[in-house]
Amino acid sequence: MNQDQGNSCPMPGACQDGQGSLPSCAGLSVPYVPFQPKGAKKYTQTEALANGTLFPGLNLPFHLKMEGSAVPASPLTQLQALEFVVMELGAYLDTHPDDNEAFALFQDYAAAAREAKAAYETQYGPLTLCSAANGQSFRWLEEPWPWNAQQ
Amino acid sequence: MFVYEKKLQYPVKISTPNPKLAAFIISQYGGPDGELGASMRYLSQRYAMPYAEAKGLLTDIGTEELGHMEMVAAIVHQLTRNLTADQIKDTPFAPYFVDHTTGIYPTAASGAPWSANGIQSTGDVIADLTEDLAADGACVKGQRDVSVRRIPSHTPPWA
Repeated sequence: MNQDQGNSCPMPGACQDGQGSLPSCAGLSVPYVPFQPKGAKKYTQTEALANGTLFPGLNLPFHLKMEGSAVPASPLTQLQALEFVVMELGAYLDTHPDDNEAFALFQDYAAAAREAKAAYETQYGPLTLCSAANGQSFRWLEEPWPWNAQQ
Repeated sequence: MFVYEKKLQYPVKISTPNPKLAAFIISQYGGPDGELGASMRYLSQRYAMPYAEAKGLLTDIGTEELGHMEMVAAIVHQLTRNLTADQIKDTPFAPYFVDHTTGIYPTAASGAPWSANGIQSTGDVIADLTEDLAADGACVKGQRDVSVRRIPSHTPPWA
């Protein structure tokens, strides 16, 4: 299709030029992966969960399919979205531990995820064996187990 | 150690069974580029990793892959739940059904059961990371080919 017609970025939201960095004096015939720069553009948590990445720059148009799936809004998906961003920022910080801005965002999302998780568990039951001790009775065995979700 | 969280990373709710699709998707569970292999690959390679950044990344991504494994298994389970042998007969899922009925078994779509032959852990950082790039890329391509939602990939920020 029209993957490359002089426009380096035909897909909306796809990776733009300049979103990674290469060695300034790179040897020839050596493959490089651009290192993700600080301050890269980020999705909201719902967009991140739907696209499988927090970073538009990493949402590559494999087979020209860019669209994420629609995530139904529910207390569980809101928690999943927050925890997904925490995990994505954690993986980013693994390779960028000195990015203070990203760390501050990581702290914010982690706090929001902790709060959402506590609220979810109060209403729907424990998500971990340990938190099953917080209830009035042992609710760990209650359905649905995650793979048994009904449509 | 690992602590189980009683939820999936991403919701899986499939109302219409589809044994034909299940016959493809099972490879993402137990095939050579599947999630079981991915988690074993990263969680095994980290012991030889000398750099803190990559120790952390292999641990965190290897752990996330365990969650992907659970999602893919849930997809196959929901694609095949409540099916009868008659509904599976004459579909590509039939050979799997002969051995496993609708139980979840880590196997490739080809029928080869999951094997560590599909992963590598050499003790050499560059060799291992190069294999990770190849494996994660194959995984993404496979998912797009069968029109499954993209499972988070980790290829670009590596190396």
